[in-house]
Amino acid sequence: MALKTTALENRPWGALVHLALFHDVTNSAFLHSQLLAKNPDYEYAFIDASSIFSEHQLLSAAYRAINAAATSALQTPNVHSEVILSLSPNNNIADAYRRWGISPRTKSLIVLKIIFHDSPSVPGPQPSAAEVWSTISQLVSGTPVDPFSDAAVRKETNWAAVRKYYKLNGVAALQNIADDAARQCQMERLALMGMALRGL
Amino acid sequence: MTVNPTTAGASEPQFPLPSILTNPASAPPLLIAQGAEGRLYKTTYLVPELACAVKYRPPKPYRHPLLDARLTKARLSSEAKVLDRCARDGVPVPALYAIDAAAGWMALEWIEGAPVRQGINEWLGARPETDTTPDEQVDQTPLVDLMRRIGTVMGALHRTGVVHGDLTTSNMMLRPWKDGHTGGGNGTVLDGDVVLIDFGLATQSQSDEDRAVDLYVLERAFASTHPRAEAHFEYVLEAYGKTFKKAPSVLVKLADVRMRGRKRSMLG
Amino acid sequence: MPDSQGRRIALGCEGSANKLGIGIIAHDASGAAHVLSNVRHTFVSPPGTGFLPKDTAHHHRSFFVRVAKQALRDAGVSPSALDCICFTRGPGMGGPLTSVAVGARTLSLLWGKPLVGVNHCVGHIEMGRAITGASNPVVLYVSGGNTQVIAYAEQRYRIFGETLDIAVGNCLDRFARTLEISNDPAPGYNIEQLAKQGGRVLLDLPYAVKGMDCSFSGILGRADELAAVMRSGGKGPDGEDFTPADLCFTLQETIFAMLVEITERAMAHVGSNQVLIVGGVGCNERLQDMMGKMAAERGGSVYATDERFCIDNGIMIAHAGLLAYETGFETALEESTCTQRFRTDEVFVKWRN
Repeated sequence: MALKTTALENRPWGALVHLALFHDVTNSAFLHSQLLAKNPDYEYAFIDASSIFSEHQLLSAAYRAINAAATSALQTPNVHSEVILSLSPNNNIADAYRRWGISPRTKSLIVLKIIFHDSPSVPGPQPSAAEVWSTISQLVSGTPVDPFSDAAVRKETNWAAVRKYYKLNGVAALQNIADDAARQCQMERLALMGMALRGL
Repeated sequence: MTVNPTTAGASEPQFPLPSILTNPASAPPLLIAQGAEGRLYKTTYLVPELACAVKYRPPKPYRHPLLDARLTKARLSSEAKVLDRCARDGVPVPALYAIDAAAGWMALEWIEGAPVRQGINEWLGARPETDTTPDEQVDQTPLVDLMRRIGTVMGALHRTGVVHGDLTTSNMMLRPWKDGHTGGGNGTVLDGDVVLIDFGLATQSQSDEDRAVDLYVLERAFASTHPRAEAHFEYVLEAYGKTFKKAPSVLVKLADVRMRGRKRSMLG
Repeated sequence: MPDSQGRRIALGCEGSANKLGIGIIAHDASGAAHVLSNVRHTFVSPPGTGFLPKDTAHHHRSFFVRVAKQALRDAGVSPSALDCICFTRGPGMGGPLTSVAVGARTLSLLWGKPLVGVNHCVGHIEMGRAITGASNPVVLYVSGGNTQVIAYAEQRYRIFGETLDIAVGNCLDRFARTLEISNDPAPGYNIEQLAKQGGRVLLDLPYAVKGMDCSFSGILGRADELAAVMRSGGKGPDGEDFTPADLCFTLQETIFAMLVEITERAMAHVGSNQVLIVGGVGCNERLQDMMGKMAAERGGSVYATDERFCIDNGIMIAHAGLLAYETGFETALEESTCTQRFRTDEVFVKWRN
């Protein structure tokens, strides 16, 4: 099962975050159209993997979206669309969808699903990880990557796009770092801060 | 294993946890500090391996609720923006992981190590009572090095256009050097990267006056907390003066500020 | 020289602002203080105006003899029974201070009694301690001329926080002028009453606390702007309607929150949970209420005096002066000048340990 399930620290409403990565996706256009049509069977965060550089980036966006849902502070229709917005350092929702969301051109796709196991508005038993995986693997036409990991995600990262979206070009903190890994670590730090600061 | 903090008795009855910390986590939050401004907790962010500090500004019941909400939000936002500015410029500060200004909390990178205050006290106290060697003859290199590192960090902070507002040796951490650190260490308790923390009173300013007052506050804090190291404070200023173009004019202003004296006497 | 009952008696004269106060105090053999008389006459200027030094000094000169005689009558003591004549050396307004000092010097020469110059702020603090019984509180001293947060240490009243520009009482007085509120009995009192009718709307005024200090000219400026908007029929920044009562309410809520905050910081710094509020603005019930809530949250309490003592008065000068006199302090005639600037921490508080 190529699904990674995380119970976030200090999680509101018993939220579990499920993550899956697919390569060579062939039905991006179809999935995108279902999202635009607001088809309730397609309530997932469909994320273009080229704009993603780490698992923490995804989890951080998920945490913010979960907290927004739990404090009635959603800026988008649901927690999954909120995850897309939460990947962005600014409040322009259209830009966020365009930069991080799935598009017909998406080749590598990350599927993120949040299940609330303790929410006042969604009572009763919730799908298990196995059930979530079963549904996702049927929705997406592509090759699942097992296991889901930072290394797997990073293979697809378009660093030029990441630097642009998070305004990291020419930033003083990133100058004079010889080691690639160290520089990427610093970029991650700054990008996460940018996400946290959205709206302030 | 998940621990529900309320059943684990993590909070004392008179210090209610912010609601974010009443959610399940791998361990209950630890109350680290509490002052007039708010409380600091140690917990984790996203995953059990990532330690973080949560700074919480509780509502003040004496204030009008609207005023209270506005103030809390404004102060947390201001602090967050200052941290971002510093981080982008490479000033060593904790990273901001998450913030909910309306709920009054922010989650920050946990900085390992001990406050500079503790390091200096340990280093000064390490010489046994029976050691009568006068200070001048004991090798002060590690202390001088540390003073210079502090001066350099302060210069970087001010060059970024931020003034800390509450500089003491308790608001600076000595984070253990990572593997592959170059430049050697002295193998002493004074090793480590100087990381500034607690930006609750920080403001964005580039005036010589504000910068000089920032230095003066640290100077006075040194004098009252580490009188035996006070003589070495000049190394802080020496290193500071070399960090950015306007630094020397700040040092000139500092002489002014000293002469005016702080209008109040500190009680140490 | 203590009298037959072991009492020492002092007469005190105060006039640093628009209140002329003369009072007589007795310290008995055990050191307890007894108020024998407390007479005050206030110079009230017309609405929309403030009191000018020249007019205020004239008022004090005109009423000095009357008030002094009344004080003696109320106390039932004769001049010969007095141990000393106390007067406010400063801080305050030059002309009014000097007028009262001239009166005090005259009494001193007339009756052959030593003079004792007193710091106005120390007078407030010592009277507050005596009346409320608060032994070692953090003191918030707030009046038309002063805004300080004070804590006692090693024989000084140390200033922890203060205004960086105008006093909070001055801010209130000037805003009362903007709204053309009556100055009788006091502009701050009338703002307080008007504020009670507001509260529907809390406007956004700039909150100015910087560390342990605060400033009020920014908030006053903004309040004046909003008053002008209101007068020309405009609405607030969020499109809301608001009245003078709403402005007074907002101003109080904001400036008092600022005062409570810097007081709390000082309390945290020195590890105290007792607060004593002195000075004219200390009469304000909303301020006392807010301070009380803050203190209660820290497991402590707030102490305040009523208008007899929180508003400038002569008895506090007599009391503080007598405390100093009892440690051997006196002010020679040649040195009995007044000073507009007189920092609270300049006084050597010999009578405490």
